[in-house]
Amino acid sequence: MFIKVRRDTLIILLLAFLLIFSGRVMTYMSYASSTTSDQGVAISGVIVKGNDIVPLDSIRNSLANVGFRSGSYIQGDTLVTSKRQVPLNEAIANAKTAVTQTTIPGTQLTPIVAADVEVDNSTGIVTVNVIEDFSNIHINGLNGTY
Amino acid sequence: MKKSKLVGILLFLMTVSMLVHTSAATMNVVVITDPTGQDPNGAAAGSQSWAENMFQSTFILSKEKHFTVLSGGEGNETPRLAAVMEAINNLENGGTAQSAAQLANGFSGIRVMTGGPTIGAAVGGYFMAYVIIVSDNGTITITPYSGGIAVLPPGTKGAIIHLRNTPGNPQYGTADAVRLQTAEMMGQMIRDGYPATDVVAAAFKNVAINAGEKHGGGAVNLVSGITTGDMFTPTELNTTGFSMDQPYSKISDTGWSVAFPEAANYQTSPIDGSNLTTVYAYQALRNAITVDANTTSVAVYGTDAPGVASTTQEIVQASVDKHGFSGTQIAKDINSAISSGLLVGVNNVEASDINVNQNQKAVGVYFKALPDDRTSPPWNLPISSSVLNLLGNMQTAIGLILVILVLFRSTLISSFLKK
Repeated sequence: MFIKVRRDTLIILLLAFLLIFSGRVMTYMSYASSTTSDQGVAISGVIVKGNDIVPLDSIRNSLANVGFRSGSYIQGDTLVTSKRQVPLNEAIANAKTAVTQTTIPGTQLTPIVAADVEVDNSTGIVTVNVIEDFSNIHINGLNGTY
Repeated sequence: MKKSKLVGILLFLMTVSMLVHTSAATMNVVVITDPTGQDPNGAAAGSQSWAENMFQSTFILSKEKHFTVLSGGEGNETPRLAAVMEAINNLENGGTAQSAAQLANGFSGIRVMTGGPTIGAAVGGYFMAYVIIVSDNGTITITPYSGGIAVLPPGTKGAIIHLRNTPGNPQYGTADAVRLQTAEMMGQMIRDGYPATDVVAAAFKNVAINAGEKHGGGAVNLVSGITTGDMFTPTELNTTGFSMDQPYSKISDTGWSVAFPEAANYQTSPIDGSNLTTVYAYQALRNAITVDANTTSVAVYGTDAPGVASTTQEIVQASVDKHGFSGTQIAKDINSAISSGLLVGVNNVEASDINVNQNQKAVGVYFKALPDDRTSPPWNLPISSSVLNLLGNMQTAIGLILVILVLFRSTLISSFLKK
């Protein structure tokens, strides 16, 4: 042996190892069994109702662009996204504007005339109700509405 | 000087060609095999073209009112949009396919094709089309039309196909022959009882291979309200979509699949080594819009995490096949999938989170996403987590102190002894 180690030293080291190991396991168990999060409520999903011709994916994209995407979370009255922090009511107002500006893919037509956005503060689910109207659409370059 | 002039002229020519190149020709097709609207695959439609910009606006679908408005891929060209809007507006207000398609005649050079399971189908404006009517005794009538209005009356089985070649298509000049050939094939398929989704997919295949008008585009199922969405459409303005005669993905016998171009690297499934079958785009299109009689439609709420929706679909399907439409059984199967790690990032569900509609074969699953990017639900331990945390940290600290004691053992003891 290069290093002379007494037997009681070994025993103490073994004890220390056991203590540290079981201590770490316990902290992991405490993490795994905890239900609360210090990060606020994550945006967990988007439910869209009332759209007929405008595709669901387009509306989801519009919402993702204003911050209601996976990875964002609600802390109190603030929406925290990967880019910035916005007050929740402002984010909802932005979302309404973004949804009404959603186009039919490949065109600049925006048939959604009204949108209602609700955010559930406890589950993080965003519910969007939209109303489409094709009787009053303005097309760039043409007079009047269609 | 000369060079810059040349570049200027080239730029000018390019601009002119971009402006002129808006009269794109397209394949538009509507097929109705069940005019009563009962068969979930009884009416389908689709658009494809050699040209660019075949976005979803060229195959618009109304899921609620069950109609479609098809047109050519002319990008943001204004009159086409106006015609499409007028047609949608007419159909929204209870118009028939004929009254909506008729409106295209008010615009110069525009074609609009409309259709629905119970409203018939029609094409109006500028077109070269065949109307195929299949009577109940099996007689197939194919009538050519060009321009004005052509109608497949409500209540009849049949189809309308419009096809012209786009300038620049290497198979230019084949449109007339292929249009007739496809019309005959579609008529025979309708007579033989194929569902409309199969007929549309067959038309896509035939036109893509033989006439070269092959870039998606996409197709819609008018009865069930399913669209291929952006499966085959271009990703950017002024580009073409996916070629409908090309391989789209490879799928193994056990359900594993990979999309092209990555699929070219796989000969067998990396999971179980089973053989891979190549799925062509027209087959993928058929699979996407066809509703299987024993398929359960599963809606997933509460999480957008990738993979959760498709995995849940498979679990629910297996559960329904085995135990029928039972909310508690489905919840049990989903929970066992969560605990085995098949579904990650969601909390366990209760039977009340499962919404079962047996008549429509639909199941809704309301998940709760886990916080902090966690993958599995919290453990249910008898000791509270804060007590565990405290104990764990104390033990770790004591352990570390012991290590330090051992390391400086002799020094410490001697320093104690000196005192």
